[in-house]
Amino acid sequence: MTKPLSRRDFLKVGGVTAGSAAALGALKNVMSAKANAEIKTASEEKFVASTCHLCSAGCGIIVRVADGKAVKLEGNPMHPVNQGALCPKGQAAPELLYNPDRLTSPLKRDRATGATTPITWDEAIQTVSQKLNGLREAGHPEQAVLMHGDTRGQMRSFLTRFMEAVGSPNTISHESLNIAAAKLGMYLTQGIYGLPAYDLENANYVISFGANLLEAGSNPQRTISGYTFLRRGRATRGKVVVIDPRQSITASKADEWIPIKPGTDAALALGMANVIIKSGLVDADFVKNYCFGFDNFASGGERKGFRDFVLENYDPIRVEQMTGIPSTTIARLAGEFAGNGPAVAIMPGKGGLLNGGFSGVYTAMAVHMLNALVGSIESTGGVMTQRYMPCVDYPKLPTDSVAKKGLATARIDGAGSKFPLGRNSYQSVADQILEGAPVEALFLYDANPAFETPGGKRFADAFAKVPFVVSFSSFIDESAELADLILPEPTFLERWGDDHIEGLGYPGISLYQPVVEPLYDTMNTGDFFLKVAESMGGTVAKAFAWKSYEEVLQFRLKDIGADWELLKELGVWFNPGYRFAKRGSQHWIENVVGAERLNAPRDGYFDLYSRELNCFLGEMKKDELAKLGISQSGDGAILPHYEATVFQGDEAQYPFMLNIVTLMSLGPRSDTANMPSMQEISGMTVRETWDSWLEMNPESAHKLGLVENDRVKIESPFGAISTKVKLVAGLHPDVVNMPFNQGHTAVGRFAKGRGVNGLEILNPASEPLTGLASFTNTRVKVTK
Amino acid sequence: MTDWCMVIDLEKCVACQGCSIACRMENNTPVVSPEEAKNGREMRWNDVFPLPVHLGPDQGEYPNVKTHYSTRPCMHCKNAPCVKVCPVQATFTDEEGIVRQNYNRCIGCRFCTVACPYGVRYFNWFEPQWEETLAEYRNPDQLSVNGSLEGPAVRPTGVVEKCTYCVHRLVKAREQAKVEGRDFRPDEYVPACVQTCTGKARFFGDLDDPDSTVSQLSKSLRAVHLLEDSGAHPKTLYLAEG
Repeated sequence: MTKPLSRRDFLKVGGVTAGSAAALGALKNVMSAKANAEIKTASEEKFVASTCHLCSAGCGIIVRVADGKAVKLEGNPMHPVNQGALCPKGQAAPELLYNPDRLTSPLKRDRATGATTPITWDEAIQTVSQKLNGLREAGHPEQAVLMHGDTRGQMRSFLTRFMEAVGSPNTISHESLNIAAAKLGMYLTQGIYGLPAYDLENANYVISFGANLLEAGSNPQRTISGYTFLRRGRATRGKVVVIDPRQSITASKADEWIPIKPGTDAALALGMANVIIKSGLVDADFVKNYCFGFDNFASGGERKGFRDFVLENYDPIRVEQMTGIPSTTIARLAGEFAGNGPAVAIMPGKGGLLNGGFSGVYTAMAVHMLNALVGSIESTGGVMTQRYMPCVDYPKLPTDSVAKKGLATARIDGAGSKFPLGRNSYQSVADQILEGAPVEALFLYDANPAFETPGGKRFADAFAKVPFVVSFSSFIDESAELADLILPEPTFLERWGDDHIEGLGYPGISLYQPVVEPLYDTMNTGDFFLKVAESMGGTVAKAFAWKSYEEVLQFRLKDIGADWELLKELGVWFNPGYRFAKRGSQHWIENVVGAERLNAPRDGYFDLYSRELNCFLGEMKKDELAKLGISQSGDGAILPHYEATVFQGDEAQYPFMLNIVTLMSLGPRSDTANMPSMQEISGMTVRETWDSWLEMNPESAHKLGLVENDRVKIESPFGAISTKVKLVAGLHPDVVNMPFNQGHTAVGRFAKGRGVNGLEILNPASEPLTGLASFTNTRVKVTK
Repeated sequence: MTDWCMVIDLEKCVACQGCSIACRMENNTPVVSPEEAKNGREMRWNDVFPLPVHLGPDQGEYPNVKTHYSTRPCMHCKNAPCVKVCPVQATFTDEEGIVRQNYNRCIGCRFCTVACPYGVRYFNWFEPQWEETLAEYRNPDQLSVNGSLEGPAVRPTGVVEKCTYCVHRLVKAREQAKVEGRDFRPDEYVPACVQTCTGKARFFGDLDDPDSTVSQLSKSLRAVHLLEDSGAHPKTLYLAEG
């Protein structure tokens, strides 16, 4: 968006005043903003609309470019997610662009000495295409693996297409570290593999099960906008309840914070369901006509339905013992939830869902089913189903016999095979490699697995077994440090890209464009792979007929309703207004309920008894289920239920559960840790700065003889680290917290050596059914 | 007469600290060194912090605790103590109610930092630093009045600096209106913190105009001033939680 703000060297406001008049003005001690004020500014200035890349929200930005430099970011008022607002990460984005530690040219690293030498892009392209052609000639293209981080928009399908053209099914997303559990919860109930969107603006009652709505959830700026409107933007204010062992900022801003025994959210949700059913508060039309499995049913014998199962097992008195929440509170929450609609229960994007067992997915299912019980699926103030902008299909992938053979192989991360329900198992790539899975070439795009996974240091050993590792990154992070080729990716302010707008239900596209000329010898990874494809020739080159990644975007976004020039000017294009599907309509069946089920029928029924899960677990015997960590059998294993978390570390020896929290400031991405302003403000809640810390309940600390700022050793069965302790009254006595994204050993001068990384001592195991990472099932002991 | 005023709804504030950093990028306040930061030093004209400021036994016990957060720009007091104590008239209230600082006149005596009940005046003990290429993103705007710089041009060592309600944005907005040959409208100008606020918790406008949003909000039963008994007649308003 180029807006002609007066372009001149000097802007003079009012008349030029003589010195004597100035002195007089000063004597009067009154100076005017109107008169005598001169403002000198840049000689050339423009405003460019783009998209922020620093978390998964993807806010629209308007960048002020003064004399060719990006000096300030503002929120794009047209963008529906942030509506003109921008969080501290986005505000500090120039610190990323002009960071002194950026990678400035392609590097080749010698494994023996660790020394790096600059190379040309041509050499990098040749090296990569020769490697991939070599793998294809050897008949094993599947041995090329690409791991990527929060890669959205067209880049994700582009990378997948590239790998498939080569012949590898191994494009592995990092979602097993965060949102996959919630997506699976949605998939196994509503039959859509994706995060639900919540109509917070119209909800009257919101209960969050550990969803970090205001800090670092799956779409923080979207939920902040919705939350503040619900609280004070409209005439009647909605109530917000937060269930969380920790009083997060979300919890402290809510009407009610209910601390819960960690890992027992499923029991609470089912306890509430019990009361809702018993009190006759269920949406009878919805559960009878649009849900499967509420009542008992017959299918090869008598099967138990959701109602009887919940009534038998989740009386509030029993739930009180499981969760530590009084039964009266459970009953009250249930009554409030079912009686003050529209109400919505929000499952977390991460948090307790990643507790090393399948119980995390049961939790997501149980929470989402609360919405079904009160009829909040696809209704005002309830759950919306995210729609996406139609993108032009890529031309049919021309695959040769080598590629076909490669694509038919099992995924290297075990998704769909070792982990039958999983779609990606990012952290387990290291384990598979260490167990001998053949990986010849590994690409890391926007990914730093050596830092961001539990027990990530094992990636160093895994990389050592891979002959060819390529990192695409703007900084030399912990993973890039171990790569053979380190290729500089431009920051999001210097490249083309796009993002699907999520969280509001309706579809939209947000565009990234180079707001300034690239500062260094960098190359958009999309362009790099196009050049590699060209150099590889054959079917791979045929699959990528575009000259640049910008052209790919133009091709894919042709049908969204805005032409390219308009999209560049506005930075965003969307079809506003979410239209709720009528229950049972064609639209409902095609888009809202059941549309993405792979095995169970796509019949528009919301599953309270998950037929999809039944396809995986239905035939299993009790001992097989027990191996997967599921204590129930038969219908009990299919219906959502509470499974006690299997903690690593004996409770007597390791009394605390370690919880790693993502902060608003440091965010989810490694490079944010090298933005000095983010380091400075990171510890605001505990009055800390430029460091990591351990949050502990004051009573628990007192018992251990600890006072604020004592240095403590934190030990788990997987290792020990040391940091300072902070006393936080709003915290469950058995839980300790550490911030994510501190303790870097690389990235840059501001990130390096700031505290410790709590993920190092977390359980590195993956959940056996889904391949999810384990974030909340490690116990620790804390000593002085 | 225009009387610029900010209103902050603490219930909508989500303590994201976007305001702190928006202010930094707009006004060229430097990151202080990690060592100094650990000593409690900061150069953020608008800080966000948890309450109570001093930890004590009155915090309550688990689970009956509630942390509150506040955000604090300059209060632009009507009876500003900083203006009163300044021996060289470096700090002054302009005719539109903004408490400003003339960095050329400031002698760095720091009377004002002591007099300010809100601790929102920051003394430049050290030369502000932007490491290497980080200096590239500094805001090029330079406001000068009667030949003396007021910012966002980088302030030298030895002067006190503070929130100006981004007065240079006001000057720019007026100039833009003039260039376009029309009258300036009050809604064309907001400080950077107001513009970026993620919770839409901040409001800005003319308190003298009874129809403005800030005037309306100032009549809210939730409207409070910080340390109302300080005698400073603070202007920046808060809407209390609850």
